[in-house]
Amino acid sequence: MSLPPSVLQAQVSLGDLLDLKSFTEVCQSFAELYRVGLKVFDATGNKLVDVKVGNADFCGYIWQKPDGRSQCIATVGRVKSDEVAEEATPTIFDCFSGCRYAVQPVMYEGDVIGRIVFGPFVPEDLVSLPATLTSISSDFDERLATGYQQKIRRVSQPTAEKIIKHFGDLLDVLVFTGHKNLLTARLHIEAVQESYRELQEKNRQIEESYSALKELDRLKSNFLATMSHELRTPLTSVIGYSEMMLEGLGGPLTAEQREYLGIIMEKGESLLQLITSILDISKIDAGRVRLVISEVDVGQVMRDAVATVMPLARKKGLKVMWEPSPMPRVYCDREKVRQCLINLVNNAVKFTPAGGQVVLEARPVPGDRIGLVVTDTGIGIGSDHLPRVFDVFYQVDSSSTREYGGAGLGLAIVKSYIEAHGGEVKVESVVGRGTTFTVVLPLRAAAAAVAAPGASQAATG
Amino acid sequence: MVQFNNETREIAVKVVYYGPALSGKTTNLQALFQQIDPKVRGRLMTLDTKDDRTLFFDMMPVFFKTAAGVKVKLKLYTVPGQVMHESTRRIVLQGTDAVAFVADCRRSEAASTLAYWNNMLKNLEANGLDYRTLPIVIQMNKQDLPEARTEGELGDLRAVISPVVIPAVATRGEGVLETLHAVLQLCYRSLDARVGLEKKWRISEREFLDAIFSHVAMKGTTAGTAK
Repeated sequence: MSLPPSVLQAQVSLGDLLDLKSFTEVCQSFAELYRVGLKVFDATGNKLVDVKVGNADFCGYIWQKPDGRSQCIATVGRVKSDEVAEEATPTIFDCFSGCRYAVQPVMYEGDVIGRIVFGPFVPEDLVSLPATLTSISSDFDERLATGYQQKIRRVSQPTAEKIIKHFGDLLDVLVFTGHKNLLTARLHIEAVQESYRELQEKNRQIEESYSALKELDRLKSNFLATMSHELRTPLTSVIGYSEMMLEGLGGPLTAEQREYLGIIMEKGESLLQLITSILDISKIDAGRVRLVISEVDVGQVMRDAVATVMPLARKKGLKVMWEPSPMPRVYCDREKVRQCLINLVNNAVKFTPAGGQVVLEARPVPGDRIGLVVTDTGIGIGSDHLPRVFDVFYQVDSSSTREYGGAGLGLAIVKSYIEAHGGEVKVESVVGRGTTFTVVLPLRAAAAAVAAPGASQAATG
Repeated sequence: MVQFNNETREIAVKVVYYGPALSGKTTNLQALFQQIDPKVRGRLMTLDTKDDRTLFFDMMPVFFKTAAGVKVKLKLYTVPGQVMHESTRRIVLQGTDAVAFVADCRRSEAASTLAYWNNMLKNLEANGLDYRTLPIVIQMNKQDLPEARTEGELGDLRAVISPVVIPAVATRGEGVLETLHAVLQLCYRSLDARVGLEKKWRISEREFLDAIFSHVAMKGTTAGTAK
């Protein structure tokens, strides 16, 4: 892995370091102050600034003559491109017209990054127009040319050198400041880009480990589902053969043998139920729950649920009431809704002491929904436990000496199944007074399950 | 990475001063700025953000022409020391030819020094630079303060590679030239081995070092600069 090239590695060019518009203004005011023209080139010979002062008529007149034009082009070429010493001192170039140019390279960090051309100016010691100029054409008008030349400033060579040196020093500061600003700005951007790249890289790593974890989790759930299935098969035989013996298929039994077999069967049944719950929850975890939607008589399902828990309730001395009321048809998974109601009513019976009561009722809920409400007069759930009662394996009393059995799977299954329908489960409770669980189901689950994204995990697996 | 330009006969070399915040990197460059002949060096550029006093980094160019007409351009950089400027540190390290690691030698700074040292090795790697072969010198700065670690106590920094160690008091200019000298000497040797500075470019180690160190102001340095 390597970083993209930084501005620190780049060659500097004079044009990049200066704001050309304001630099041109500086050059103009400088040229006006000294009344001499000024040109600035970058290292590759591009003209960045060109300010002409006083020489327009003179040079224009010479330019009209073919010989003057060609010699002028040659002079300008020399001034622009001839090699000069790589140090910040001026070199003087003579023009055939008697004028002069002072040229100084722009040095930065030991490199030549451009050149300053100061001129043309008239040397102080020039008395008359030189023969090199007057001979460019037979019709050369010396009087006119001399008049034009007077518009160009006369400067002594030492003064010219001082002026260009001064401008060189000024430009040096501008270049340094420009470079500093360029580096600061660009490096800030590069630093942000680099931090962003680093962040992206970390995000990618996090995403990778997240999907690795998800895969592990899926494998775990698969394993649980398979194991539960493998546990159930022999257990069914244990229960089945116990039942056959109880029915006398293996010969007559003593009262004691019957009692023992009864216990084996009962414990076998509750073990089977536990394994079934684990299988359910692992299917939910693995996202393998599929709803089988049909038109369901919810009243019938409620009756079934109450009938299922009735023996246990009678044994504990509880009243279980089911309030029949006219009910709309509900499209849902009959088996799963039945299991949810059994889980809720079973819980209610489990946590309600003798003499209490459990009520199961249905009421319409706005928005084409129906609410199935299980109310008990049991021990209740503390408010600190309420938000977590639907978590898998969560137990309000998780001590080893707890009074009530169970694996902590029932409510988790209820929540998953109801949410798969696009419904919701709510709980309210007062410690010592009782608990109310409300299952809200849409009347048409299939449509709701598609519409409710929260239900997608269980519904679409 | 060192840049050679055959056409213009130029060699550009980059040296980075790396280290924790307040270890004395900028002080080193400032001392060098004072001591190196202005003929062979440019301005010391200090990039800072004006609002929060955070020092960004410094840069100083050093340049000279050899007898064989080769232009040698050396750029000295410091990295920003603050933890938050991690990405800038990595950018400044890009393509460096040698590193001077400036450490605060006090025992109380040992942990953060080690953290920056390891962080530097990581950032060199991120730039595709091999710290096992890159010229690296450690400057144990602030020798004048109590609690200074002795050379025998630098095992933590020498766990992976074992660089040259130079003691210094950068605020007094002591050890600063020695550090640069040591870095450039190693740098010359590594470049010479890779591209033949002596044979191909006709620059001897002596000429390379003398160009910078023959005109230094010796104020504040310990006796005997060249080792």
